Amino acid sequence: MAEVSLTCKRTVISTKPVQPGKFCPLSALDRLMERNYLHIVFYYQSTVERNPGELTKKLREAVAEMLSAFPIITGRLFKTPEGHWTIKCNDAGMRMVEARAKGSVEKWLQNLDREKELQLVHWEEMFHKPYFWSTFYVKVTEFEEGGIAIGLSCTHLLSDPPCATMLIKAWADMTLGGKMITPPLFHPLPGRRPGNTNTNHEPYVELIDYYKLSIEKPAPVFNTKQVTIILAFDDEMVRRCITRIAPVESSRTPFEALAALFWVVVSKVKGTKGGLTNMSICLDMRNVLGLDRGFFGNCMVYNKVNGDGIEGNELCKAANGIKEVVRKMDADGIMDLIEWLKERNYQDLPWMNGYDLICVNLEAVDSYSAIFEDNARPLRVSYYIEPAVGEGQILIMPPPAGSRNTFSRVVTITLPEDEVNKLLEDALIQEFSPTILMGLNKMHSSTSL
Amino acid sequence: MPQILPNFSSSVKLKYVKLGYQYLVNHILTFFLIPVMVGILVEILRLGPEEMLNIWRSLHFDLVQILCSSFLIIFIATVYFMSKPRSIYLVDYACYKAPPTCRVPFSTFMEHSRLILKDNPKSVDFQMRILERSGLGEETCLPPAIHYIPPTPTMEAARGEAEEVIFSAIDSLMKKTRIKPKDIDILIVNCSLFSPTPSLSAMVVNKYKLRSNIKSYNLSGMGCSAGLISIDLARDLLQVHPNSYALVVSTEIITPNYYQGSERAMLLPNCLFRMGGAAILLSNKRRDRSRAKYRLVHVVRTHKGADDKAYKCVYEQEDPQGKVGINLSKDLMVIAGEALKSNITTIGPLVLPASEQLLFLFTLIGRKIFNPKWKPYIPDFKQAFEHFCIHAGGRAVIDELQKNLQLSAEHVEASRMTLHRFGNTSSSSLWYELGYIEAKGRMKKGDRIWQIAFGSGFKCNSAVWKCNRTIGTPTDGPWQDCIDRYPVHIPEIVKL
Repeated sequence: MAEVSLTCKRTVISTKPVQPGKFCPLSALDRLMERNYLHIVFYYQSTVERNPGELTKKLREAVAEMLSAFPIITGRLFKTPEGHWTIKCNDAGMRMVEARAKGSVEKWLQNLDREKELQLVHWEEMFHKPYFWSTFYVKVTEFEEGGIAIGLSCTHLLSDPPCATMLIKAWADMTLGGKMITPPLFHPLPGRRPGNTNTNHEPYVELIDYYKLSIEKPAPVFNTKQVTIILAFDDEMVRRCITRIAPVESSRTPFEALAALFWVVVSKVKGTKGGLTNMSICLDMRNVLGLDRGFFGNCMVYNKVNGDGIEGNELCKAANGIKEVVRKMDADGIMDLIEWLKERNYQDLPWMNGYDLICVNLEAVDSYSAIFEDNARPLRVSYYIEPAVGEGQILIMPPPAGSRNTFSRVVTITLPEDEVNKLLEDALIQEFSPTILMGLNKMHSSTSL
Repeated sequence: MPQILPNFSSSVKLKYVKLGYQYLVNHILTFFLIPVMVGILVEILRLGPEEMLNIWRSLHFDLVQILCSSFLIIFIATVYFMSKPRSIYLVDYACYKAPPTCRVPFSTFMEHSRLILKDNPKSVDFQMRILERSGLGEETCLPPAIHYIPPTPTMEAARGEAEEVIFSAIDSLMKKTRIKPKDIDILIVNCSLFSPTPSLSAMVVNKYKLRSNIKSYNLSGMGCSAGLISIDLARDLLQVHPNSYALVVSTEIITPNYYQGSERAMLLPNCLFRMGGAAILLSNKRRDRSRAKYRLVHVVRTHKGADDKAYKCVYEQEDPQGKVGINLSKDLMVIAGEALKSNITTIGPLVLPASEQLLFLFTLIGRKIFNPKWKPYIPDFKQAFEHFCIHAGGRAVIDELQKNLQLSAEHVEASRMTLHRFGNTSSSSLWYELGYIEAKGRMKKGDRIWQIAFGSGFKCNSAVWKCNRTIGTPTDGPWQDCIDRYPVHIPEIVKL
């Protein structure tokens, strides 16, 4: 129904020149993610009557100011003599695409699917000579009847979803008030804290083995087309889910509950025998490692959860399995992984999202506080971790409405199309009455099951 | 003898001899007058008051004689004042400051160049070499249409750039001079490469609602020296129209002239030309005498177009693919040097002090009569001027002029720093350089400034200004936020 037409493509430059000779090296966690890239779309309503192109101009000026604090984004990829990627901060700028779409943003959101949503982001695969390839792409689409969509695409080499969200938030702060509330910090991942070395400490072997396996696996086969749906679970339903899996409510987090729920259901729709399907969880380690919110770079770590021997409906055992792994991923464990990665100095590129079902915890990502204009919180924020080539993806995200203490969550599910159909009809899912924010195109919008 | 002379002149003694000679020749009238006055005074004192009164009474003054003499004196005085050319004052000027979002760092320029010229790596390398040695900095600005991939130089975008540059400069000027649009009597706009219909001067008249009997002119196609041509035109008009204000707008609109082909000689302007513009208010009103910044003393124009090589040296043409661009020939520097010599020969007698002119005359006579092998004497223009504004056409132009006129690094600092911060803004670069000198606080009352501009044709134009009042450090202007970082050392080659 709505059509997106390109207005122009340009390079945006930071307002302050970058001092020459600056380099930002990439960490061991960064370098693993070379094959992946992110797409994030933020939707906003129009608050004030504006001429076409006026808001885009304002955003463009703000982004130029913002880029002065992010020399890593305006720099370009460069290989060091050791063969590692680093960013040479050469002040080359970031690509920005401007577009117009018919209709209004509210209408667009009602009738959406993965293909349509990806029209709102711009992405170019890495060039053969990446020195002239922009690592970040921003697309601003103005809806003719009101509303705006901001799409960010970036290589996972430089940032993970929380980091990219921090970037958009910085841009929003700059547009609204002229300064950033959380300025970014560029520093390497912290080393092991000296005081805490436990001489009897066992290295976290399972985590290291999981990464070793991922790096050594051959390239995955892309055969099934995957579709994406978004479900919203309100506060009461999530609490019910938690009580289902544990006697005491406070002993399980919404992430664990929903991850367990989907693990069980997806295993069922896939028809996995002898246990639950292979799943890896992906957690944000910023708090665990004690990093500041302004830290720029990758800090999400994957780990396998063991589903052998768990039967179809055993939500409790699934949740226990997940909780066990979350507990073990502490600072020491992550340090073990980082040290191992640094030592190993691998040259092959893993497909971190390419095999198992991935369940990503994005609960703490503060996307709804990216406010560009007064009183205009984002209507919705969608995340895509590409390429979608594995068994599937489950992203657990915070809800749109204001309050931070609520247990309600929004879940993005990416699976092959037939599995998605079966999932929506599954009794266990229906028990928690999710609202479909983005369904399969054939389905009617915004209905509760 | 000639061989020994150079060694001698480096000795200190000869330097003092030279200074003494200059002082003597330049103040020769004073030196004659003083003995005469001393003589009269001695005579008066010797005669005493009674003798003075006797001499006075012996002159029989008749009423008719007195009346006739006074009428004659008044008549001569009136004729003198009426026929004296009006003084032209530069009340103030304003330069356009591009927003930092239009900034083009070297790496962005090269990246775009590679993306657009992906089939011509040799041309891309050529552009890189030019950029490395250009003397430009990382803060020069190009208009928004050139930031697009690929660039979209539409007429609408060109008009947009023209409106942005010209209107900003004029608004800034009006704020500084507190002048009303209806007070402007003469309007001259010069922009070499963009000439729409209606003209840019009509655009200004429309925007500011200028009077219907305004004398407006639009000069196009006259190259980078068009700024001084406009000043010359304004001066001539202000001689004819008493009590008037003339608004001169000098700019170059980059958008429509971005060369999109791959011929090397035609890619050069892309690397050097940048966005810029200036608006200048000239006046011949008596009351501006106290508030004006400068007074125009001379404008000297030299046109070498009669020579074919000079005519074709900066030539707009189509390349083999049909893309239009400006071709710069390889002997540009030589032709520029000759044009400069021609200009100097005309301006020298007007501005040089008598001492330099005499020396030049003696060496000329000597070369003609005694020995043609004598080195021609290059007059020392540093004695005629305190400040030099050399059009920032490129690093080579500034180097060449510095060598030819034997200027020190400080004299050409304004030009080099303008090239670094703003790039080659064509006809308006002279005004940015003047702004630099003012921002550094070096402009004092009585200072003489020489503006030299080169342009296609091939033309060399000069303007001489005299500072009317000491100018305090300005609180606005294009240099306001960055003057503290200048002067900056510009390396020979910037490694990209």
